[in-house]
Amino acid sequence: MATGYEQWVELATKQMKGKSPDTLNWKSPEGITVKPVYGEDDIKGLPTMGSFPGMAPYTRGPMATMYAGRPWTIRQYAGFSTAKASNEFYRKNLAAGQKGLSVAFSLSTHRGYDSDNPRVAGDIGKAGVAIDSIEDMKILFDGIPLDQMSVSMTMNGAVIPILAMWIGAAEESGVKQEELTGTIQNDILKEYLTRNTYIYPPEPSMRIISDIMAFCSKNMPKYNTISISGYHIMEAGADSVLQCAFTLADGVEYVRAAIKAGMDVDTFAPRLSFFFGVGMNFFMEIAMLRAARFLWHKLMQQFNPKKPQSSMLRTHVQTSGWSLTEQDPYNNVIRTTIEAMAAALGGTQSLHTNSFDEAVCLPTEFSARIARNTQIIIQEESQICRVADPLGGSYYIEWLTSKIVEGAEKIINEIEEMGGMAKAIASGMPKLRIEESAARRQARIDQGKDVIVGVNKYRLKDEKLDFEILEVPDSVRLEQIDRINHIKKTRDNAKCQACLEAIAKAAGGNGNLLEVAIEAAKARATVGEISDAMEKVFGRFVATTQCVSGAYSSEYSEASSDSAQIIEGLRKRTNDFLAKTGRRPRILVTKMGQDGHDRGIKVVASSYADLGFDVDISPMFQTPDEAAKMAIENDVHIVGASSLAAGHKTLVPELIQKLKEKGAAEIMVVAGGVIPPSDYQFLYDAGCKGIYGPGTPITESAGKVMDMLEEKYCK
Amino acid sequence: MHKDPSYYIQGVLDNNRLMLARTITLVESILPSHQEIAKHVINELLPYTGKAVRLGITGVPGAGKSTFIESFGTTLTTLGHKVAVLAIDPSSTRSGGSILGDKTRMERLAVNDMAFIRPSPSGGSLGGVARKTRETMLVCEAAGFDVIIVETVGVGQSETTVASMVDFFLVLQIAGAGDELQGIKKGVLEVADAIVVNKADGDNINRAKLAKKQYETALHLVTPSSPNWAPPVMTCSALEEKGLMDVWTTVNSHKKIMTASGELEKKRQDQAMSWMWFLVNEGLERWFYQHAEIQKLLPNIKKRVEEGKMAPTRAADELVAILGKDLLL
Repeated sequence: MATGYEQWVELATKQMKGKSPDTLNWKSPEGITVKPVYGEDDIKGLPTMGSFPGMAPYTRGPMATMYAGRPWTIRQYAGFSTAKASNEFYRKNLAAGQKGLSVAFSLSTHRGYDSDNPRVAGDIGKAGVAIDSIEDMKILFDGIPLDQMSVSMTMNGAVIPILAMWIGAAEESGVKQEELTGTIQNDILKEYLTRNTYIYPPEPSMRIISDIMAFCSKNMPKYNTISISGYHIMEAGADSVLQCAFTLADGVEYVRAAIKAGMDVDTFAPRLSFFFGVGMNFFMEIAMLRAARFLWHKLMQQFNPKKPQSSMLRTHVQTSGWSLTEQDPYNNVIRTTIEAMAAALGGTQSLHTNSFDEAVCLPTEFSARIARNTQIIIQEESQICRVADPLGGSYYIEWLTSKIVEGAEKIINEIEEMGGMAKAIASGMPKLRIEESAARRQARIDQGKDVIVGVNKYRLKDEKLDFEILEVPDSVRLEQIDRINHIKKTRDNAKCQACLEAIAKAAGGNGNLLEVAIEAAKARATVGEISDAMEKVFGRFVATTQCVSGAYSSEYSEASSDSAQIIEGLRKRTNDFLAKTGRRPRILVTKMGQDGHDRGIKVVASSYADLGFDVDISPMFQTPDEAAKMAIENDVHIVGASSLAAGHKTLVPELIQKLKEKGAAEIMVVAGGVIPPSDYQFLYDAGCKGIYGPGTPITESAGKVMDMLEEKYCK
Repeated sequence: MHKDPSYYIQGVLDNNRLMLARTITLVESILPSHQEIAKHVINELLPYTGKAVRLGITGVPGAGKSTFIESFGTTLTTLGHKVAVLAIDPSSTRSGGSILGDKTRMERLAVNDMAFIRPSPSGGSLGGVARKTRETMLVCEAAGFDVIIVETVGVGQSETTVASMVDFFLVLQIAGAGDELQGIKKGVLEVADAIVVNKADGDNINRAKLAKKQYETALHLVTPSSPNWAPPVMTCSALEEKGLMDVWTTVNSHKKIMTASGELEKKRQDQAMSWMWFLVNEGLERWFYQHAEIQKLLPNIKKRVEEGKMAPTRAADELVAILGKDLLL
């Protein structure tokens, strides 16, 4: 042992009145046992150590001088419902010191639907800007010099029409393809894992990615063709080891796809960029970013890259949206600050900080300003940018970095044995691991083991919402439809049809899809038309839903008898319900509209089943009519509708109405997810029986549901 | 729950989805008072049943059962058939709850007006599943569905239970990496009317063909249940919707052959008969265990048998004689 360790143990034991300091060990969500102190012995011979920033294996950062030379790029992701409103917002931000643009798209656009498609009536302009044609794209970037401005676009499903329209809009404004800079997310694998905004099955989707890489490496050398995203994996509930492992495994799969498509590794690998999520587990997040860089370098060696940039992990980071709370929401400013610090100390290349109101609604101008200033203050007031990798050499950080490398490598090896990430995803393994992690986290929060201030501790008695809430007016949809009609009337239809046929032909053969789509975009084909042309050949992907069981209650069985009693109490109530009414309480959990974030319903489904409910899960992307049909045919007592993207005001009342029309008014409807408290009354008036916002413990919502069911069926 | 059986009967005969769903809930209820009503309902509906093709489908988890039913069922509706799918999902032994996710894998069929899908929790006891599913099947037939598909996970004895209530039992398999036969139980081979190797698509086609050969060999070693029907092995791709019509043709020719030879009628009679005997046994058993005197004497008799102070045969005689006493009175 190094000098002084024994002495420390002695001191610590004394301070703890004779108890061993080992009792302070903490088991992290990743399963890593963290000790109360670290020293020289803990970092001896670690492979992750012994280099400088800018040097392989890049543990300490991809650039030699890091922020001492130039701070990270402040890149705020935003999209308002219309192209015009977003354009104004971008221009203001650029004037206020922002250096890059990041576009959020409407859910309908993500899934390749035009705004006039009846399936997406509740989704237009939700979560971002709706784009139907090149005309919308031109409005979006009006007055913004695309040869100078790097543009990042979060698009995965409808990536071909959107990228084509952006390129087309740039060309029509006189900017050449080779001048374009920026990033397209284009990470389809994680869509099948967590976010569900895919359109086609995995195989054609991977082909689309290869086509984009091939086109851009030839024509747009400064453009990042993919942003391999761990963010959504984390948001779905993955811990840091899982986020690191699955993201890098996705990356390896893309590299293989590109090489298989005949590309040389050094032509595209330097343009691969990553996107990680950073949450509240401060040192763990820092260590994860360092570990990811080390591992990526190691994983890339199998492809024999010649350029150093080919194995250098560069990343964008976003602070965790999931960590934000609806309760006492100004606390979110502090959470975001801590997460932003972790991202900076972990060495990110660009950063998005969330707005404090994002657990309630889409950001307003005010909340967006606070979010942006969070980063500016760190960069310009705190002096933390002066030294590259300031935590390098810290006993704890270095040890933790190597632990994450160890854990992630084990999972990556497991995936490799399954034949790579595409195969692993098909088997359902990564999804189940993430959901298990999410269910465990929910159980820890519900028991108060993981503290969330204002939610499960220090909760305010009376909460008043005193900030402005952004709402998307219905007129957005009507305006979009008008514009589509106008374009369809004024364009050269024969030319447009020919372009669409060329897309279908390329999809069935070997042509480059992006290349032909740019022509179609210029011929005023819509997002929906271009997507449909490919769908004819590729088909539309239908997800299979698996769900873990037992994870939620197992966190309780390890816990104090108090918490275990809550679970037992609820199980007794569901059993009594069975004895009194002849069957278990049966609930349908559904997610209507085009929002694909299904962490919430998965956690609810899995935990309710653990509590003794029979839980029906609906397919993704249902209309209220379809959800009502399913509720009736399965004859459930109650429907739980989850909404995370502002669709609740149309979708929930419509569901209640459809149940009534079909003669099943007695099926109760409750809602959960991101719903502003100011909308609660509206929903109650529409007939909604309960609303459970973010942070509601499962045991609490289940208890309230049981109250209602017992009142109705057991008396 | 409504008390009047005619409320349910009329609703089912009108093919009202809401009433059909509620009648199934009634049939599934564990309350004796509900079961009493259900018995009436089933009895009244009986004349309207028996015309459907009853199809059982099993397969190991991951064989693609739901995807198969999604594609197969959709194909049948385009031929004008009305398809009811009864899916049995396992209940957790610890909490009693269950996750019923079948419809997430049957997205198109779930919204198809020609189809009706009802997932049901197994609820623990196998007898329970058997009773509920059998009666639910009759309810669906009375509502006018002419193809009934019963889906079950291939665990425990559930396959043989399902096989004993359908006309045609289809075992779904996938081609794996090596020894295909490991994953299939001999008991399942004996009741299979056809084996379908699913996922014969992409780079899996050759493996599927190999698996087909292996199952054919395996089936040769099993005595077929009918001299007129040798269970075929087929390949299909539910994903690419290939080979599904062949499966339907096979089901139909089975029906034709079995009807002509009189075996179908005989099979259904046998099924009804063995179901009656199952219920008789179940009733006797319940009667036995709930008998006050038996409950009183049982612990002591058990103890004496365990200690070797009483012969098991004598103990059994004495216990059964207690029931007999009741009858004499």
